[in-house]
Amino acid sequence: MSEERETRLFMISPRSMLTPDQLVRMVHAFGDKALVKETCYGCLVEAPRKENLEILEKVREAYPNEVFSKIRAYRCSDPRRCRAQHGTRPGYAQLEEEWELLAKIQYGLEQVESGAVYTPKEGKKRLDVNAFKKICEVH
Amino acid sequence: MKIFIDPPNSLVLFDLVERFGHEPLSAMAAIQERVDNIEVDMPPMNVTLDDVVKGLKYAGIEVPSGVRGRLALWGPLIEEADAAIIMEDCPYSFGCVGCERSNLMVKYLIKRRGIPTLNVSYPETDEDAVNFVAQAKEWMEGLK
Repeated sequence: MSEERETRLFMISPRSMLTPDQLVRMVHAFGDKALVKETCYGCLVEAPRKENLEILEKVREAYPNEVFSKIRAYRCSDPRRCRAQHGTRPGYAQLEEEWELLAKIQYGLEQVESGAVYTPKEGKKRLDVNAFKKICEVH
Repeated sequence: MKIFIDPPNSLVLFDLVERFGHEPLSAMAAIQERVDNIEVDMPPMNVTLDDVVKGLKYAGIEVPSGVRGRLALWGPLIEEADAAIIMEDCPYSFGCVGCERSNLMVKYLIKRRGIPTLNVSYPETDEDAVNFVAQAKEWMEGLK
């Protein structure tokens, strides 16, 4: 991972009451020199990796299970991607899919925090030979 | 530990791996390297000659070039990984949808490396999501 520049994407879960505007104002209020861009799903933050991780930590402190983040390969407003500059925006279908999933993940994180543990699902059982014979005889 | 995520562009997996104290190995980092350093326009759709040669290490010459291009990016990440987390039964448009053969090849490469791997299914309901998060958390805590 590059240490010089990291563009990080912050996405708000649809189950959250937080708005992208509030999130951007909060990141600005941290006072770091990061470049912040508001988007429909949250925001993009561009800064050196160390600063970005500090911002992530502060955001997680305020909204532990509501804001999710990953890195982004392209810079903010990269003409090859940014819609404002007629970019192609090819990764958006994936973001939309994940946005829908985030509500469930937020619920999962909250439950795990309050003590839920993993319970393995029962696997499919093999059909007994005699039961199978009976099924065959009926038809 | 470095954990390879599959689908390699997944926000959920990237976030969970980072949240539980590990370093995720993702497609974004590999693409950023190419965007920043060699200014390739749209990796992995545009590749360099070196990428094609690198891809040959993971997939034969008879394999379509698209698979080789993708594996040139993800192959080195799989080699670097100490563990892997794979999400299965995803909806059609979730993850890298360009080529199912590449995705199968990635799973094969992970299996061949023999690193600790967690296979989770895509959570369809809230209860599934609780199980998914709990399972991922327990597994990642066990890796430390």
